[in-house]
Amino acid sequence: MDEGPGGLRGSPPGPFPVRIAAHEEGDRVAELELRGITKRFPGVLANDQIDISVAKGEIHALMGENGAGKSTLMSILYGLYQPDAGEIWLRGERRRFSSPIEAIDAGLGMVFQAFKLFPSLTVAENVIYREEVTRRGLLDHREANRRVTEIADRYGLAVDPTARVERVPVGVLQRVEILKALYRDAQVLILDEPTAVLTPQEAERLFTILRALADDGRTIIFITHKLKEVMAISDRVTILRDGRAVASLTTRETTAAEITRHMTGRDVELRAWPVTRPAGAPVLTCEGLSATGDDGRVVLDSVDLTVRAGEIVGIAGVAGNGQTELAEVIAGLRTAAGGVVTIAGTEVSRAGVAARRKAGLAYIPEDRHGVGTAPTADATDNLSLGHHRSGPLVRRGVLQRGQMVERARELIARFQIKIAGPGTMVGTLSGGNLQKIVVAREMAYHAPLLIAEQPTRGVDIGAIEFVHQQIAQYRDGGGAVLLISAELSEILNLAQRILVMFEGRVVAELDAATATESELGLFMAGGGTGISAVTTVDGTESEHAR
Amino acid sequence: MSVETTDVGMPAPSAPADRGRRRGPWPILRRAAMSLLGPAPVSIGLALVLGGVVIALAGADPITAYRVMGEGALTGPGLVNTFQRAVPLVGMALALAVAFRAGVFNLGGEGQMVLGGLAGTVVALFVPGPGLLVMLLAFAAAVLAGGLWGALSAVLETRLAVPILISSLLLSYPARYFSSYLVRFPLKEKGSSLVATEPVPEAVRIPSLLSESSPLGAAIARALGPENILVRLTSTLDWSLVVVALLIVAVLVFNRRTPAGFEAGITGLNPHFARYAGVRTDRLKVSTMFVSGGIAGLVGIMLVLGSQIRLVDGALIATNYAWTGLLVALLAGSRPLRVAVAGAFFAAIIVGGEAMQRSAGVSAQISQLIQAIVIVLIAIRVQVTWRRRAKSTVREQSDDLGRV
Repeated sequence: MDEGPGGLRGSPPGPFPVRIAAHEEGDRVAELELRGITKRFPGVLANDQIDISVAKGEIHALMGENGAGKSTLMSILYGLYQPDAGEIWLRGERRRFSSPIEAIDAGLGMVFQAFKLFPSLTVAENVIYREEVTRRGLLDHREANRRVTEIADRYGLAVDPTARVERVPVGVLQRVEILKALYRDAQVLILDEPTAVLTPQEAERLFTILRALADDGRTIIFITHKLKEVMAISDRVTILRDGRAVASLTTRETTAAEITRHMTGRDVELRAWPVTRPAGAPVLTCEGLSATGDDGRVVLDSVDLTVRAGEIVGIAGVAGNGQTELAEVIAGLRTAAGGVVTIAGTEVSRAGVAARRKAGLAYIPEDRHGVGTAPTADATDNLSLGHHRSGPLVRRGVLQRGQMVERARELIARFQIKIAGPGTMVGTLSGGNLQKIVVAREMAYHAPLLIAEQPTRGVDIGAIEFVHQQIAQYRDGGGAVLLISAELSEILNLAQRILVMFEGRVVAELDAATATESELGLFMAGGGTGISAVTTVDGTESEHAR
Repeated sequence: MSVETTDVGMPAPSAPADRGRRRGPWPILRRAAMSLLGPAPVSIGLALVLGGVVIALAGADPITAYRVMGEGALTGPGLVNTFQRAVPLVGMALALAVAFRAGVFNLGGEGQMVLGGLAGTVVALFVPGPGLLVMLLAFAAAVLAGGLWGALSAVLETRLAVPILISSLLLSYPARYFSSYLVRFPLKEKGSSLVATEPVPEAVRIPSLLSESSPLGAAIARALGPENILVRLTSTLDWSLVVVALLIVAVLVFNRRTPAGFEAGITGLNPHFARYAGVRTDRLKVSTMFVSGGIAGLVGIMLVLGSQIRLVDGALIATNYAWTGLLVALLAGSRPLRVAVAGAFFAAIIVGGEAMQRSAGVSAQISQLIQAIVIVLIAIRVQVTWRRRAKSTVREQSDDLGRV
């Protein structure tokens, strides 16, 4: 193995012998060790003297709130960033990766949240890319397929090597990414929030695979927000907070509560928010709503639903089963192919966004960077857009800049947004604080209807609780909420009724009080009977052919 | 709009930018001054050094050449000339800046200007009536012609998904050749060697700010002497200076003080966000292109009724104001006050370059080379600060590694 340039230049600081990790017992060498990793960005200390040691065959969870420094740390490990200080030790050797290619060559593999695959190529072609199997200079597809199948079989990664990636479901794409890393003989596998796109069943399956990999002596680091996963699968867990590693714990010796305390610095418990009053009149009704996706496929197939005042209706489903399109169609961002939408008594089936908002719609979109904010604009502008056509922000057709700033200040204080001031660009905020900007703006409409789409995705626990509380208060104040979430606990904690979407249809309606995660998971994966009974709001039963 | 208030050059997250947003004209003036004192002079200095090397290599004395350049652009008749160039240049840059700020890339300023000039000239030549009224009618016709031509590009994009970037550029050609045809044949002045229309009636021409023949102008000229710079400026420059100044104020007010201007700015920053919040982005594109093309058309007719007197075939295009204006708008980040500053600066460079060529023995190509070096270096500076800003924005968002 070649030594990194830093390895040649100097010996590691500290009194310990070079080849032995400081806090490893005996002479066992850690598979991977990060020592004093420090990374500074203008105005932010992203990583502050982080030490992490991971043993061979260990599943190591990396937890922390948004902006805690997880991504920066993994980017440094993977050669995307150079640390300002600190060292990376792999199997007792100091390494320095100036690019991901060097990291890959050293036996690191990374599975990103957004998969990096060629959609038009087959699974096997994606896996062997850059390490092609050739015979006399030509690609040897047979051999490639054979090798891919062999690796897949060894770890239970069921994939068809000849399938085109564009036709393969998300859960399988992830397996392709893992295969890619294994094909390059990655000894250390890093996974960034691997379960975010999976059903509970698929997640279970992934855990089995990860276990098999660990048993085979491979080392796994996975970034996650989900405590349950940490408890279920990891051997050890490191918690980052404000750029520092605040704790490294052995999972079976710790508790979820302890981990949470380390993450947030306080005791947080995600609680349920039960209703206090019965639901009132219908605020949102959709009848026979259909739509096609950007590629012309049917993404919404005659969806009926009703949300009443003072009620939260949860839409559960694995990402990509029509939930996003449902929200877009209701909000007026996507044209419906058919169906009727009524918001607070006004029929808006053909209306544009502005008319629907006027009729009483507030909307927290899934994509807060791309849709929910203008990241390069300041907080004042981001909090004012939409409110700028009426009320105190406009007087006799003139925009009241002072009022805008004043109101922004007020919302920042009320929603406890951590930001330097109303004039700060919101793109600099952490995920949780950016989300609070969106939530604050949409809540401020006091609209009868709120669509909350993945309102806490990628947000830290403190912010999750805050957002949940806001949504519950909204409901208790008589608001109707359509909550679309991939997070089952979120739906179970907040919603009164749960609709499950699968392939563009509502396949089940459940009472949140009695529904269980496994029951939901079954419907989300397309399980259940051929014809599922869907209870409509009136209590009558209607049948939906599947 | 925040774009108007946060200094592009200094993305300091620790210093709340809203400090400077307080009332009164002082922050605006201070910021304008800051943008001049920022790192821009460094790149200008660097450009002058590089240019000096080029001049020396071409066999002339750099110091003399620069002295000639400065004097030629900023003193006496040169200053008048600089102002004369700056007015239409700033006007064109403003036209494009209005579009750029809303995220609409109008590359068809040339065609819109030409059609505006054409329509206005036709009105000026053939509509009878009192001079001032006809002039205003000509202005209106020019705005309408340029505006509709611009709006056509927007409709092509919103209805047929032809990018404005492409259609606006391509639509300039039919506009040019149509105008050229009319000027060469139906509208050509009979018996003249010029390929041009007849001169527009005296009464319809844009008067100078303070004519020497008017009693007040004559009195001032007598008091200060005909060589006085103020007298020169007011007697040579016409009212289009005032029109462009008013336009700058109007755009500033629109950007900062109207709901529509606010929406346009946000749309430029993130059209998805704007649409989600209820902005009709398609309609906004059309109206933005109308305004942008309209201003370009107005600049066209003001050139005809102000200095050129008649529509000369190809004369509006030969000024190159549309393309230099594009550079000005880009360098100014589409902000009206900066457009004015950058436009004046470009005009000075051009005029100074010509002076250098006339009296310092530096060839036209060398003087243009120096202009180009200055432009490139400033563009780099702007680009670098933009990138730096973008980077500091992206970093924090990249909590999921997929975005890194």
